[in-house]
Amino acid sequence: MDFAIDYILIPFIKIFIVFNVVAGVVALLTLAERKVAAWIQVRLGPMRVGPYGILQPLADGIKLMLKEDIVPAGADKWIFTLAPVISLVPAFIVFAVIPFGPADAFTIMGHKVGYVITDLNIGVLYVLSISSVSILGIILGGWASNSKYPLLGALRSAAQMVSYEVALGFSIIGVLILAGSLSLVKIVEAQKAAGYWYVFLQPLGFILFFACGIAETNRAPFDLPEAESELVAGFHTEYSGFRFSIYFIAEYASMIVVSCMAVTLFWGGWLRPFPNVHILDFLDAIPLAPLFWFAAKVVVFIYAYLWFRWTWPRYRYDQLMKVGWQWLLPLAMANVIVTAVLVLLLKG
Amino acid sequence: MKVRRPNLTLLKKIFLVDLIRGLFLTFSYQRPSLNYTEQYPKVRPKIAERFRGAPRLNNDPETGETLCIACNLCALACPEHCIEVGWERDAHGKKALTEYTFDISRCMFCGLCEDACPTPALELTQDFELGLYDRRDMKWDRQKLEEGNQPVVYTK
Repeated sequence: MDFAIDYILIPFIKIFIVFNVVAGVVALLTLAERKVAAWIQVRLGPMRVGPYGILQPLADGIKLMLKEDIVPAGADKWIFTLAPVISLVPAFIVFAVIPFGPADAFTIMGHKVGYVITDLNIGVLYVLSISSVSILGIILGGWASNSKYPLLGALRSAAQMVSYEVALGFSIIGVLILAGSLSLVKIVEAQKAAGYWYVFLQPLGFILFFACGIAETNRAPFDLPEAESELVAGFHTEYSGFRFSIYFIAEYASMIVVSCMAVTLFWGGWLRPFPNVHILDFLDAIPLAPLFWFAAKVVVFIYAYLWFRWTWPRYRYDQLMKVGWQWLLPLAMANVIVTAVLVLLLKG
Repeated sequence: MKVRRPNLTLLKKIFLVDLIRGLFLTFSYQRPSLNYTEQYPKVRPKIAERFRGAPRLNNDPETGETLCIACNLCALACPEHCIEVGWERDAHGKKALTEYTFDISRCMFCGLCEDACPTPALELTQDFELGLYDRRDMKWDRQKLEEGNQPVVYTK
């Protein structure tokens, strides 16, 4: 009975909550994107559906569901249908290991319940490998469309993944050396024990991670697979209606994943600011305080995502490759070496 | 063509100074006071004093009779020939207005008719809400012109 509660009931409830919250946040993100774009362009954005346009995602969702579902004549029907799902599912299952708070926060009737669905001891590896599968969906979708623009988008996506995935992996290693663990919960706990967030020891690692994360999620300034101004809509040119919106949801969910990862690895996860100043300890006593700090940090990163998109122009294809291979990768490797040597020297 | 590139020092390149300055610029644009959007049906736009919109045939405010003397000058002045004036002679041999059609679908709101009118009868008002569902409704007859355009008022 205990087994059933610990391993089936509690995780199921947690998955239900996390899934719905993430889906809700994704819906709000589509609105946030339009709002931030509008503000930056001195406009107001959606204002009509609900107060300040807050119900706009609902209206968009209904509209997308009512749209005609078109499959191009020469398309590979199976892969064409499957590709958006391949893109969507990994973006959501990554949330299984993201710690939104301490892993054993409270005890309910003798069962330990935490703010994380499961604390894998290889959490970082899990996130990296699963989130790469997301890009497979983009490549397959571009290939299956039987159309030139999606194919170009897919090719670009493949090349981009190859050049940025490596730097992404290297940029995290600095944190792993400091924390000595691959478990996301342990990494945050190590930051708590150390008394500072790792971004102060790994500023370069953080910048590299976030840059590569943006490239992984195909957002501006690395949105070459989509590239509205060059490739119509890139890999999802031929997609319409709800299939298109699945790609959309996947993109926003991946954005949240990268933001969550950046927060967990570099910005202290659920820890409050100044975790080493004990005068501020009363802040931890507030109920749901870890969730609040985590969400607040994630919101900052999501805003940064939107802010970057509406500020910077897109890299050219060769510039993208140059930045990836000539700057990000060598810097990430140097970061690993310097960190390793310093840790060895200082910790003995 | 020679492309002009900004002269970046090494430090500026390393710390991505130009990119960060761009970020601050777009961030500063988000002040609500800078906003240009007008919430149109709710907030009415400010219309220029000399704006020419929907035509109207004015009546004498005291007697309620039309000010138009059916001189046909407006119809002659109209470059698009969208005005038709109908009249008949009364007992004294004077022209009296019977009907008046104004085709706003062809009107370009140049205001020449208004200028040609010797009385204050024909006036292009400030009203700009001329949208209609049927183009046949765009031929305004005398009654419609005297009542003036009455657009649907949206409050939401």
